[in-house]
Amino acid sequence: MWTDTFLIVFISICTAFLGEGLTWLMVYRTDKYQKLKTEVEKQSKRLEKRKEAHGDSLDKQHKKKIEREEERLKNNNRDLSLVKMKSMFAIGFAFTALLSMFNSIFDGRVVAKLPFVPLGWIQGLSHRNLPGDDYTDCSFIFLYILCTMSIRQNIQKLLGFAPSRAASKQGNSLFGPAPGQFK
Amino acid sequence: MTTKTKTLERNGTSKTTGNTSSWHRAFIANSEWPDKDEFLDVIYWARQALGIILGVIWALLPLKGFIGLLLFALVNAGVIYLYFSNFQNVDEEEYGGAWELTKEGFMTSFAGFLVTWIIIYSGLYYE
Repeated sequence: MWTDTFLIVFISICTAFLGEGLTWLMVYRTDKYQKLKTEVEKQSKRLEKRKEAHGDSLDKQHKKKIEREEERLKNNNRDLSLVKMKSMFAIGFAFTALLSMFNSIFDGRVVAKLPFVPLGWIQGLSHRNLPGDDYTDCSFIFLYILCTMSIRQNIQKLLGFAPSRAASKQGNSLFGPAPGQFK
Repeated sequence: MTTKTKTLERNGTSKTTGNTSSWHRAFIANSEWPDKDEFLDVIYWARQALGIILGVIWALLPLKGFIGLLLFALVNAGVIYLYFSNFQNVDEEEYGGAWELTKEGFMTSFAGFLVTWIIIYSGLYYE
């Protein structure tokens, strides 16, 4: 089992670097993305400071200013997500193909034993394409997803590609929470 | 072009100077944290390391079943809570409450923990 599990860890390290490399080529290094990113970061920090300073004041002028800035930030965020989106789709397709290839290589093979029995809805993933009823058997896809979850995010953070905290706090993506929603 | 070099410079300097001193400060009690992000980074990476260490320990013991998952969540959150409230004595409210600090990097750490736990456990006890 050592060989299978280490192979999966190795595969997910490779795909994480490949994914980040491709995104860097197509998105991160472009002037448009960098400009937008610094702009969003600056705006988020400014907005956060302003909200802290005038958080409870009922001054209409301040409120209006904050609302205007939130609107501007929202627009910039939308542009940023659109810049990212195209390449994300391309990478998504490439990775689906890669994943189905690995899936067929590891088809029906128990790659690891889980030290716990997963919850019902996770069993569909952890026991995918495996024979028998022993739900502590672990399929390739489950281990791969777990590896990717931890490795990809850490690599993003190490390389400095992860979105900044100030920006994500203000709800920085098209699908993220709207600014001020959780206030 | 100018914005590009500027951001690179900014990122570069914040990384090099930030890392050496913030890691040093991470091990000293009651350190000053003028940059909130620096402290959150320390919490994040401490969590990742803790996740992997707990994964190795759980597998060697070996701990099994949901008690393992539950214990991980408790120990992970507890250690980080003790670290920032008793060792560093930071003002939680500055970071948006204890919950913000407790959940910083939790999911990634949980995934890292599961991977190490599963790999070592199945490698040691199954052929």
